[in-house]
Amino acid sequence: MNGFQLVILAVLAGLSVATVVSLLRRWLSLGLAVGLFILWIGGAVLAIRPATATDIARLLGIGRGADLVLYCSVLLMLVGFFMVYIRIRRLRAHLTQLVREIAIMRAEGPDDGD
Amino acid sequence: MNESVFVVIAAYNESTCIAEVAREVRSICPNVVVVDDGSTDGTYAAARRTATWVLRHVINRGQGAALQTGIEFALARRAAYVVTFDADGQHDPADIEPMLDPIRDGAVEITLGSRFLGSAVDLPPGRRLVLKGAVLFTRLFNGVRLTDAHNGLRAFSRRAAECVHIRADRMAHASEIIDIVRRSGMPFREVPVRIRYTAYSMAKGQSHFAALRIAFHYLIGRLFP
Repeated sequence: MNGFQLVILAVLAGLSVATVVSLLRRWLSLGLAVGLFILWIGGAVLAIRPATATDIARLLGIGRGADLVLYCSVLLMLVGFFMVYIRIRRLRAHLTQLVREIAIMRAEGPDDGD
Repeated sequence: MNESVFVVIAAYNESTCIAEVAREVRSICPNVVVVDDGSTDGTYAAARRTATWVLRHVINRGQGAALQTGIEFALARRAAYVVTFDADGQHDPADIEPMLDPIRDGAVEITLGSRFLGSAVDLPPGRRLVLKGAVLFTRLFNGVRLTDAHNGLRAFSRRAAECVHIRADRMAHASEIIDIVRRSGMPFREVPVRIRYTAYSMAKGQSHFAALRIAFHYLIGRLFP
């Protein structure tokens, strides 16, 4: 195993610990945590035996393992962007609700002096 | 008779005309609710001079959000009828009563203003094309046949206003309101109204390209409520 593989494994180990901590603190749902673990374990397998990517790629009819990793990375990135976009939309809705409550509470009418 | 009518005006940076608009509307309906949507030009102070109530969004959230705030405020004040009215002087306060008459008569619960049934003074050809496109879009995606799908002059009975929960903060709210009207199953009708296009109102209005962005946001809102 070379130095690069060790670095990758160390990073993935750190991410796994962070995932466990986040799950225990309820910052992550169980489903998302499981998904992330699958990702970290998959990354570890590829780091230990890179040829695995090539074997899987050939099964799927894709030429090279590197191409498979690239396609999967792009797909995961798009999913990630989409989830963040949906989260931002929800935050905006909550922000509007908050702004609305303040506006109604502070409404000034005919009985309020200038 | 108009004591139970609340006219909601959402305003963003309309200090130039909001006082006059509120004054004109207040000559017809005593309950004028201006919602200042985080303006930075003194709109709030201007509105305070002539509007009945003035609310303020501490940060800008969009016309849809401001209208929803005004509608909720009006309902909390026991409004029997709620009218939405634009802040830029395009609408004619004289159209408010004809908008309310069919609702008071019990014929419908909702009326929607239509410039194409009424009159649109100095409507530029480009804007006409975009508005006709909005009519087609509404027919395709909302399944509602209207002659004017993007008119801010609307009137609701209390029962109908209670069904209005605008989630689209910005300009896609116009299409969302039509969706709400359709889903409510309540009878509605278009009423001829007069729209006055001035250089000021055209400058404040949406660009033609903004229409595409509004349609996109509306569709995203439909897919991911």
